[in-house]
Amino acid sequence: MTEHDDREIREALKQSFPAMNTELRRDLWPAVLRKLDVHVAPVPWYDWALIGLSATVFLFFPQLILVFAYHL
Amino acid sequence: MDLLRRFALGEIDAFETLVRQFQGDIYAWIVRIVRDPGIAEDLTVETLWRIYRTRQQFRPDGNFAAWARRIATNLALDHLRRKRPEQSLLAEPAGAPQSDHLLQRETREKIQQAFRRLPAKLQVAATLALVEEQPYDEIANALGTSVGAVKLRVFRAVRILRKQLNHLGLGPGVART
Repeated sequence: MTEHDDREIREALKQSFPAMNTELRRDLWPAVLRKLDVHVAPVPWYDWALIGLSATVFLFFPQLILVFAYHL
Repeated sequence: MDLLRRFALGEIDAFETLVRQFQGDIYAWIVRIVRDPGIAEDLTVETLWRIYRTRQQFRPDGNFAAWARRIATNLALDHLRRKRPEQSLLAEPAGAPQSDHLLQRETREKIQQAFRRLPAKLQVAATLALVEEQPYDEIANALGTSVGAVKLRVFRAVRILRKQLNHLGLGPGVART
């Protein structure tokens, strides 16, 4: 393969690919933040435990629902 | 506290500052490789998310831009590996006359298709070195390899392209398209 062939291939590639606009059109921070929120904020186990415990208490003592709602 | 140290500790405000500072550079690098603005934006978001997720691996006295570019290049490489090689760019080159000859368009498409069939690593090296004319040391840093390895990949890409174009009947004079 000659140097001339090399130059031809290189020139053909440059001519075949359109020049790219490399300027970013919009701020990507909102999209990054959404992705972080989806992946970074799982519900901790103790929150689930509290929800389960509360549901059990209300099941056996339904009148406590009114007391709970009053204090809310 | 230093911005990079605060980022490494997980401060979102510090990370936001870094995002606004570097998102343009990361995008510009990726779009040069994948040649599609929409995909480049998605990969830039993915790059920034991975940067935050692996922030403990970053040394605050290190080069953030180089580290970000390496992550971006790996994501662009993964994208090219997943992408079907038959897809070709249909956009006309910038400045092409409206009355471009059909034969010239077909020749360009054949060259693009032959290029897309290159292994992803060779495609990235050749795109950045030959089409975008980026410095070899920057390409080497982004790929996590040596300048010599980049030059070898470019050499192999050109050799494969020469064989494929000869096979397609595009011999000497292919540059005069």
